[in-house]
Amino acid sequence: MNKTMKLAAVMLLGLTAPVMAQDIKVGTIFPLSGGAGPDGQTVTNAVKLMVQQINDRGGLLERKLVLISKDDESTPAVGVSRANEMIADKVDVVIEGWNSPVTLAMQPILARAGVMDITAVSKSDLILSGQTNPYAVRINSSNGFDAAVIAKYVAETLKAKKVAFLTQNDVYGNGFQAAVEAEFKKLNFAGEVIMTEKFAFKDTDFRVQLTDLKAANPDAIIVTNSSNSSGLPAMVEQYRQADLKSPFVGAVGIMLTTVFKVAGDANNGIVSADIFFPDLPPFTTMPESASFVAAYKKAYGAAPDKSAALGAAALQVWAHAVEATKSLDRKTVAEAIRGKTIKATVFGDAQFLPNGQMQPRYVLFRVVDGKNAKLEALE
Amino acid sequence: MTAIESRPPASMPLLRTACIVGVSVIGFFLPRLLGGTSAAYSTLTTIAIFAVMCYGVDVVLSYLGEVSLGHTLFWSIGGYTAANLSVKYGLNGWDTALATIALCVAAAAFLGAVTLRTREFVFSLVTYAAAVVAYEVAFNWDAIGGSDGIVGIAALKLPFVVTTFSGATEDELWPVAFVLLLLTLAFISRFRRSRLGTTALMVQMNPALAASLGVNPRRIRLAVFIISAPITGLAGWLYAYQRAYVGPDMFESYFLVMMLTAVVLVGRRVLIGPLIGAALLIAQQNLLSLGGDWNKIVLGSVLALVLIFWPAGLVGLYRRLSKNKP
Amino acid sequence: MNIAQQIVNGIVLGSGYACIALGWTILLGVARLVNFAHGQLYMLGAFVTWYAVTRVGLPYPLAILAAMLVLAALGLLIQLAMMRLVMSQNLTSLMIVTLGLGYVLQGGSALIFGGNPETLPGTLSRARVELGPLWFTWQDVLVLIATLALYGAVWLFTQRTRFGSVIRAVAEDPKLAELFGINARVVYLLVFIFECCAVALGAALVAPRSPILTSMGFNEVIMTFVVVVLGGIGSIGGALAAGLGLGLFTAFFGAYVAQAYTTAAAFALLLALLVIRPAGLATK
Repeated sequence: MNKTMKLAAVMLLGLTAPVMAQDIKVGTIFPLSGGAGPDGQTVTNAVKLMVQQINDRGGLLERKLVLISKDDESTPAVGVSRANEMIADKVDVVIEGWNSPVTLAMQPILARAGVMDITAVSKSDLILSGQTNPYAVRINSSNGFDAAVIAKYVAETLKAKKVAFLTQNDVYGNGFQAAVEAEFKKLNFAGEVIMTEKFAFKDTDFRVQLTDLKAANPDAIIVTNSSNSSGLPAMVEQYRQADLKSPFVGAVGIMLTTVFKVAGDANNGIVSADIFFPDLPPFTTMPESASFVAAYKKAYGAAPDKSAALGAAALQVWAHAVEATKSLDRKTVAEAIRGKTIKATVFGDAQFLPNGQMQPRYVLFRVVDGKNAKLEALE
Repeated sequence: MTAIESRPPASMPLLRTACIVGVSVIGFFLPRLLGGTSAAYSTLTTIAIFAVMCYGVDVVLSYLGEVSLGHTLFWSIGGYTAANLSVKYGLNGWDTALATIALCVAAAAFLGAVTLRTREFVFSLVTYAAAVVAYEVAFNWDAIGGSDGIVGIAALKLPFVVTTFSGATEDELWPVAFVLLLLTLAFISRFRRSRLGTTALMVQMNPALAASLGVNPRRIRLAVFIISAPITGLAGWLYAYQRAYVGPDMFESYFLVMMLTAVVLVGRRVLIGPLIGAALLIAQQNLLSLGGDWNKIVLGSVLALVLIFWPAGLVGLYRRLSKNKP
Repeated sequence: MNIAQQIVNGIVLGSGYACIALGWTILLGVARLVNFAHGQLYMLGAFVTWYAVTRVGLPYPLAILAAMLVLAALGLLIQLAMMRLVMSQNLTSLMIVTLGLGYVLQGGSALIFGGNPETLPGTLSRARVELGPLWFTWQDVLVLIATLALYGAVWLFTQRTRFGSVIRAVAEDPKLAELFGINARVVYLLVFIFECCAVALGAALVAPRSPILTSMGFNEVIMTFVVVVLGGIGSIGGALAAGLGLGLFTAFFGAYVAQAYTTAAAFALLLALLVIRPAGLATK
């Protein structure tokens, strides 16, 4: 009888084994076509790379990761459709978000269906307000914290007396400006804001605003422009053409690869800050970071920029939380991230606030060779 | 009874009524028949909402023969009204729906009055300009949502006698969407046979005859435009509750092109044309998506080719093919 | 100092608006054809120029010519396809057809040229000119000269040549013109081809100001709309005046009010004008 029981047990195990080794589905929803297509593609590629690395190391919870990528075409209505498709495909996590309106539209859909939703790049504060998703997690930095490093530089390092703003006229741009001005108050800033010029996200001709700014001749111009594919490079070139002598201080995270590629040497002298660099410390000294940069270079032929790092980190954070809690349940995984620290991501140790916001490490930099995107870290 | 007194209209044959009731019942249970999954409910609700959105443009395009490029304005008014009034003042579904209808009628009346003195195709340009201005206003006016829009729209609440109907999930929202669709179909059906509808058709087909009968085409256009506005507006109203998020993206050409394609694809003045058109477009986007770029090519080609080669739409093609049969 | 520079800015912007609007206003005036693919044709013109310069290696002036030829050929095909609708003056269908074609051009261009931003090298857009405290680029000068030359040529052509009066006859009353033996079909073809050439020229000259993307088009030509209606549909002088006027309006409204709201202000102005003067600014 013992032998029969043992045989039956082995057979049962053999039958149930394939069921236990079911793949874990990871979904990504980013713009893969249209103006933001190349950016969304970068983030998706980074996630793909991470999925591959995890699979090479034996998978997650001993199950293979399968990646399903969808295109939201930067249109909220399409994003909602893709989110519904993800739900129907029964994915275990969705990593999404380049454009804030698309994220905001998808969040309630995914939340209602109980699917874990991690926002990689979208910057709107509403994403973490809890109204759309009580278990939200966002990797990219938020305006509130970004403002501190820029305000500090302008107030204390440049010691500017007259500051001007060149701000993108939407919630993101206006929000960043408001946050910087609030920081100025906190720092008891001795100078004053003498001028604010605004523009629309889609604008590509800024000579009217630059003319006004040149006449005012401020000690620093704080520029917030997230149109990395057309508006910002055009603005940088026109800034040089107008021969504006005021230092160009860029908001956190706007100097992406395309800006360097298109505007080249016109970027020289720009000061800004960001939360990830493939070739600046402290990231060059972090093993996870350095190996990611090397692997990305090998797989895609170029160094990863901040967007790629955000995608990679989104997957890493989720995977670590799943590994730690041995669960795929949304509430469990989210609570292992929100308010906790996830170690060994491409950002190093990633600290999360209780509302799901990742706390980044800022590095202030100056552009020394725009054509080759060579930066020097400032302190 | 003299010859000039007309007989009262004959009542609909019993068989036809039974068919309509039968189809309606099947339609209501369609999501359950297709599996009862949340995907089935959400897709069919979306199709119903977008179909109602298209019917607004259909009224103007099919019966007036003019292109309104500004119906995204009414779609957005519906969405923003529902969002703002329910989030800021906690108003229930009936109140927000009434407000939507009122605002859409007012906006259409204003726009239509502006076009009273313009040439025919300038009407389209004016509606287009209005949509652009409205988009800029919605984008920049933070009080009504600003560039990020309004999040956290609570579930639809329709108090009814002693209970409150609540549309919190997709399967709860489906009956509302379905009823809205049925009401719209009934309304269009009545409109087609009404004096305004037949007069509008006459203005489109034979302007000289209409003029000789003393009909003012511009006033007809104004009336039809005003009637078409709340239809699309109510679709936007329901969309706000389904998506729980409203933003300036409601002005995007994604919706405008969908409206035009759905109406043109099956054929004008076919009662269920826009419904079938909307269903086909949503099906293509969800089931046969070829990627953003190819989707644009397919959608644009369908729009252009149908109008160039088969201006009467698929129905016209079908009629032509069946006529050619021996 | 500021005012003078803003005037220069206004003229630069305005000549761009006028250049891009010329084809549209003539097409609208002659064939009553609202070409909603105008923005995507602009984008295509810019990309063909870019392709000619960077991939084929043509010098900039030849690349401009190449763009005009490619778009002319495309325009020929499009107009032939739409001919039946144009002859029957089915304006609503034409509008929707051009909308659809615009989508096809956008999707197709994205597949052919990719989604990355590109710059046009070899133009004068980085060659700076300084006139005392004022600054602009040689490209801006080129755009202004080309626009004025183009408008002048077209005006002379339509007012002084026989073919010009043929076009005006067809614009006035196509059926009557046909009775007089004018081939309206050919006129429509030539006018559409002209629109495509003109927008290609406009794109090749104006687009180098900023990186080009296959997703662009709508925003770049949205002012065209206002220029054409403000200047009077079909009016050549009106379009030039409206274009330059709108450029100056953009500059001053932007400088003294808020640049971010210029589009809204321009369109609100348009709506207001349409209420007061439905025929536009040009007396007709």
